[in-house]
Amino acid sequence: MSSRNRPIKEIGEVYLTKEGMSFHEVSDTVCTVTEKRAPRNWWIAFFITSTFAAILFITIAYVFWQGIGVWGNDSPSFWAWDITNFVWWIGIGHAGTLISAVLFIFRQKWRTGINRAAEAMTIFAVICALLFPAIHVGRVWFIYYMFPIPNQMAIWPNFKSPLVWDFFAVSTYFTVSLLFWYAGLLPDFALLRDRAMGMIGRAGKIRRLVYGSLALGWRGSHRHWQNYERMYLILAALATPLVLSVHSVVSMDFATSVIPGWHTTIFPPYFVAGAIFSGFAMVQTLMLITRAVYGMKSLITMRHLELMNKIMLLTGSLVGYAYFMEFFIAAYSGDEYERYDFLSRLFGPFWWAYVWMFGCNVVVPQLFWFKRFRTSVPVMLAVSCLVNIGMWFERFVIIVQSQNRDFLPSSWGYYRPTGVDVCLFLGTLGLFFTLFLLFIRWVPMIAIAEVKGVLPQADPHDVGEHSTEGSPGHEAAADAALAGGE
Amino acid sequence: MSKRQPYPQEPARPGDKPVWITLGEKRSAKAPDASAELVTPIKSSDVIPTSRLSRRGFLGLGAASAAIASEGCIRRQVEHIYPYAKAPEYVIPGVPNHYATILTRHDEYVGALVESHEGHPTKIEGNQDHPTSLGSADAMMQAATMDLYDADRSATVREKNGKGSDWAAFDKAFDAILKTLAADGGGKLRVLMRPSNSPTIIRLREAAVDKFPHARFHFYAPVSQGNVYAGGKIAFGTPVMPRYNYAFAKTIVSLDADFLGTEQGALHATKGFARGRRIERPSDPMSRLWVVEPTLTVTGANADERFRLAAGDVDAFARALAGELASRGVDIGPVKDAIGDAKAPEGTDAFVKALADDLVANKGKSAVVAGRRQPPHVHALVHALNTALENVGRTASYAPVSDLVPFDLGADLKALADDIDGGKVDVLLVLGGNPVYDAPGDIKLGEKFDKVPTSIHLSSHFDETSEHCTWHLPMTHELEQWGDGRAYDGTWSIQQPLIAPLHGGRSAIEILARLGEEPAKAYDLVRTTFRERAMTPAHFEAAWKTALRLGLDSGSNSIQFEAHATLPDVAAALQKAPLPKPIGPQNLEIAIAPDNKLHDGMSANNPWLLELPDPLTKIVWDNAALFSPATAKALDIEDNDVVSLSRDGAQTIEVAAFVMPGQADNSIGLVLGWGRQNSGRYGNGRGFDVSPLRTVKDMDIMSGAKLAKSGRTYKLVQTQEHGRMEGRPLALDTTVEEFKSNPHFVLFPSDEKEIAETGPVKRELERPGSPTPKTGPLWDRIKYEAHKWGMTIDLSTCTGCNACVVACIAENNIAFVGKEQVYRGREMHWLRIDRYFVGEEENNPDIAFQPVACVQCEDAPCENVCPVNATTHSEEGLNDMAYNRCIGTRYCANNCPYKVRRFNFLEWRSPEGARQPVLDTYQDIPETEKMAFNPDVTVRMRGVMEKCTYCVQRIEEAKIAARREQRGMGPNEIKTACQQTCPADAIVFGDLNEPRSEVSRLARSERGYALLAVLGTHPRTTHLGKIRNPSPALHKAKEPK
Repeated sequence: MSSRNRPIKEIGEVYLTKEGMSFHEVSDTVCTVTEKRAPRNWWIAFFITSTFAAILFITIAYVFWQGIGVWGNDSPSFWAWDITNFVWWIGIGHAGTLISAVLFIFRQKWRTGINRAAEAMTIFAVICALLFPAIHVGRVWFIYYMFPIPNQMAIWPNFKSPLVWDFFAVSTYFTVSLLFWYAGLLPDFALLRDRAMGMIGRAGKIRRLVYGSLALGWRGSHRHWQNYERMYLILAALATPLVLSVHSVVSMDFATSVIPGWHTTIFPPYFVAGAIFSGFAMVQTLMLITRAVYGMKSLITMRHLELMNKIMLLTGSLVGYAYFMEFFIAAYSGDEYERYDFLSRLFGPFWWAYVWMFGCNVVVPQLFWFKRFRTSVPVMLAVSCLVNIGMWFERFVIIVQSQNRDFLPSSWGYYRPTGVDVCLFLGTLGLFFTLFLLFIRWVPMIAIAEVKGVLPQADPHDVGEHSTEGSPGHEAAADAALAGGE
Repeated sequence: MSKRQPYPQEPARPGDKPVWITLGEKRSAKAPDASAELVTPIKSSDVIPTSRLSRRGFLGLGAASAAIASEGCIRRQVEHIYPYAKAPEYVIPGVPNHYATILTRHDEYVGALVESHEGHPTKIEGNQDHPTSLGSADAMMQAATMDLYDADRSATVREKNGKGSDWAAFDKAFDAILKTLAADGGGKLRVLMRPSNSPTIIRLREAAVDKFPHARFHFYAPVSQGNVYAGGKIAFGTPVMPRYNYAFAKTIVSLDADFLGTEQGALHATKGFARGRRIERPSDPMSRLWVVEPTLTVTGANADERFRLAAGDVDAFARALAGELASRGVDIGPVKDAIGDAKAPEGTDAFVKALADDLVANKGKSAVVAGRRQPPHVHALVHALNTALENVGRTASYAPVSDLVPFDLGADLKALADDIDGGKVDVLLVLGGNPVYDAPGDIKLGEKFDKVPTSIHLSSHFDETSEHCTWHLPMTHELEQWGDGRAYDGTWSIQQPLIAPLHGGRSAIEILARLGEEPAKAYDLVRTTFRERAMTPAHFEAAWKTALRLGLDSGSNSIQFEAHATLPDVAAALQKAPLPKPIGPQNLEIAIAPDNKLHDGMSANNPWLLELPDPLTKIVWDNAALFSPATAKALDIEDNDVVSLSRDGAQTIEVAAFVMPGQADNSIGLVLGWGRQNSGRYGNGRGFDVSPLRTVKDMDIMSGAKLAKSGRTYKLVQTQEHGRMEGRPLALDTTVEEFKSNPHFVLFPSDEKEIAETGPVKRELERPGSPTPKTGPLWDRIKYEAHKWGMTIDLSTCTGCNACVVACIAENNIAFVGKEQVYRGREMHWLRIDRYFVGEEENNPDIAFQPVACVQCEDAPCENVCPVNATTHSEEGLNDMAYNRCIGTRYCANNCPYKVRRFNFLEWRSPEGARQPVLDTYQDIPETEKMAFNPDVTVRMRGVMEKCTYCVQRIEEAKIAARREQRGMGPNEIKTACQQTCPADAIVFGDLNEPRSEVSRLARSERGYALLAVLGTHPRTTHLGKIRNPSPALHKAKEPK
């Protein structure tokens, strides 16, 4: 064990992995998950989640057959759980890009432990999110009217409509996230391919074929690494504005409308903060589970978790600020409709939803001011789950509550969901976790090459140089790749 | 191509010399047998493809399959189709015809103009020339086409136990019956029918009595005018139908009379009342309506001063009012002594005094009206008061009653029941009506009917009564039959059929004719009766044709007389009638009224009416027992609680409770017409039948009710659950006094308005209007140079009667969705009437009605947000909806501040009408229901947004007509469906760019305001603020409290 590039303890740096891990240990820890038989618990979990995923598809078929009247949507709640779920999933899909791209650009090395899973989660969450705008329309077979397809009638989508912006924003986000994720996976696929070289039998053949194809001929040469790093940086730079744009655009669905409670300029930053908040909560939940189940404590350390908690505390407080600001603006604007709507959030028929939202999103994360709670796994699991629940209620409050207390009291109603709504929501959870389980079963769930890059021994410089940069530059990465290809 | 082979050479006979050109040919010719096989003609075995099918094989197989498929082995049934080559004269496909006829509504005949598309009636309008209609139709008339096309109407004659039979069998049986009856002059024959003033029915009845002198006719209708007639008999010596000139009257007093709603003559009453209320300038005169009534009715909702008084206390109130008038010098002669010193019911003192002052001040310009269910002596007293107040001849006149049936219909029915018990009835002929359902509970008519050896029921449905009769005969709908009838003033109208009977029914007169004369067709029967109107045979044909064309025989109205009440007779009647015990917590009252939409339940299977929200409670698909908030609290009752009501001598009923502001304390309001068990797929089991609670003695008002809570609940569904305006400037109203001091009450304080007034406009009231945004849009607003369609809705005259809502449904093919879906807030009505309670007092609020349809915003929030451009703006400023383009994101509806967009969440046109999500949704609706569709309007499918279009089909029709005739459009040429039917003329539509149009004048009136103007949507619909005319004296008296 070399003593190079150790963290500077004086300024509080700690190891990003378990102290003294070798390259081989890293490869082994991550790769064996995909190489060994799936543990029994995986099968149990997969059975449960895929059952829910099946429910999702059956429910969607039922909705297509009957029409969306099988949901609880009504007048005035023309949107309800459908768009609530959409915004919630999109929000969850934010953490991946943030962790991958933004933290990458800011050279936050601790991201390496969690970025792969976070990106995967993003993609699966966006898939779940994209389902809803597609199935929520009344005549799904005409949904291509939304696409800018040249046609003989010369009718284009209405580019003034935020729904069209949404369509472009979310599909762009999905595409970039997918590319980014796949780009990051290339060296690791190559590693899996190479590890399969020695395997005998059919499994080895298939693995070599599949991972070989996915690795796109990656050999880990210096030229590869040079191009790769450059591309990765460019993709990260491209993805960064998307973190802000997607949820800003989604928020404009509401902000550009006239409905009190929707018509609010604070929405874009408020939605982005909320999205990061909920995304981190979901990453945290998943990490805590996989970390425990697969024994990844050496790679996903308490430091990672604590940093995540700090971000949740920050974004949660931002969201809390937005909640207060909404009330302040409602009062300050003098707009009686706005005032009434916000008062009825507290005292109206949906007060319970507001209590869930406020309690989970603002009150509960305050626990993270204390290091004891910040570093306690049960507490953070509970908090991250509650935050996800709270964020769902936030969207529910914004969407449904506002619609139910708009301008003309004669049209007010009380939204009631149906079993189909519940099935759809649980179904998307099923789909999400099914995809995630498949991911941890077949894909390296931790970015092996990147983790190796931040190991102390990856730094070619001597301890004496007091290098604080710890750059995951191409040399270090190449080193890591070589080590991976052992 | 692989199978194509070169022609084989001539078969090589052994010994022949080979003939060849090339070496290749020579070599290939060595295997002639193989190639010869390939060119053999197709054999049947080749046709069946084994591995690869040849081109020829494929063609052969294809041709054979086509031949088999198209011919088969049996001859298809010959189905002749015929071109529309010989079209009936005057029928142009696509161009509707209109026919005048009459329809029964509230047991009176109302003139109607029916629109017929290629032979099937689709829409009913009022007949402008007919005195009961004056061009308007109400909700029930508008819904009559749905009654006609009701798929559950009876289509067959049925013998006992529902066994199918036919008319021939019935005719044979009936002939035999009549022969037997003739023996003793019909001594054991009874006929039960609803009262009708139809001249043909009266004539045939007389003819029947001539032939069967011992037969008896009985009359029953659940809602009778008996008290009105009896009151007239007391006051004038002859039964009369009073008429009031509500347009001229300055002070109108309603003693439990819902003359704008459920009473007879409501259409023309509304028309007159609205005329007396319509004020354009603050200086215009306006009438004042005083109402005392137990349950908030349409009339009560329009009252300037309303006192919620138990129906049983109205008598005492009337006497107290007479006393107060007498003390103010009004000469009521001996009546004064008869009433003695009657004390006004508790709490009404100030009200009576202020009312008496108002009446005295408006002597000769007032009208006192008593409700149908008040006892005869109250009617007599009212006649006396009108006489004493010098109203007769000015605001009150009287028409003779043409059909003299017994006053007390309940007693008449009881007499029939007693006769049945006494074994005096062998043959009972029930012509129309549904007496087993709507008879008073203490008669137990069903059991009685079972005892009659031969009972024959003619009715549109196989209903509750039919089940207890030995014969059921299907009856024609009014749009299928010839008939006649008189208006309240005697005007004689002919009912002409719009369509041949759909189910082979017969009309009542055709059955009745069999009793008296030889069987004849209804057409001849009606003509025969009409002959009495004609001077000469030559004149007859012309008069007949004119009557058919106009819908009435002009000049046939009887002269109305101006009678003065005989005061001593009134006094005597009052003395004879003891004052009922006051209503109080120990003496609960039940007051039964006809329903606002189903009336007595004859159209209980009409989904348009079932789904129509009650004007006041906004409940759909049900009725309820109404309790005042105070009484509900005292009895510990909440909305949706099921309570059982009972009283001595009557059956017990269970009914869901509903707490209704404006209901009198200790009085429980019930309505007739619900709880049908055998009305059809839509009406069965809807609501609660209250008839069992009625007794022959007390049909409508009954005291001493007992109430028990069942502990169960029942889900009542409303279209509007929130009744307060929350201080928002929505349905703006003010009083005449304030209107005078501040004509611009509808404006926000700093706003100005484009009206021809000088000086800055200011308003200083508690509830200012909606401010107009000070910053315009960033773009240039569009100038509408050609047509600029707009609408005004006058909240002052709108009575909230619902006629426009059903007119809109009928015109625009609007789907009904069922109770469960309304509960989910998915009703489809394009036009709704918002009802707000105004004022702090929750027991006795004021009411504001506000019809809201799409206001056609010039800067419409819905248009921007549609991702597919399905809703866009027309050049004339209409907010158009392209159903074909709509994919149903529902974003437009979210962004509509008026919430007037309606979404087809499911395929509403499902067969059962249950509108529940079931897997066989895509079955079709009944064939007959399809005939009710207006062919000019698209029927929307599931997943599509829809909304009010200002009846764009009518606009286009008028524009095309104008273009074809090469003329400009008239200033008020186009009428939307809601406008056309509105009895109060509260809705006006037209071109805002046309200075001569009424709408452009009204839109600029001082009361005009844009709903939610603050949003900058620039609505094309202008609401005109409501003006109330409360009594200043009464409010001065109230203030010290």
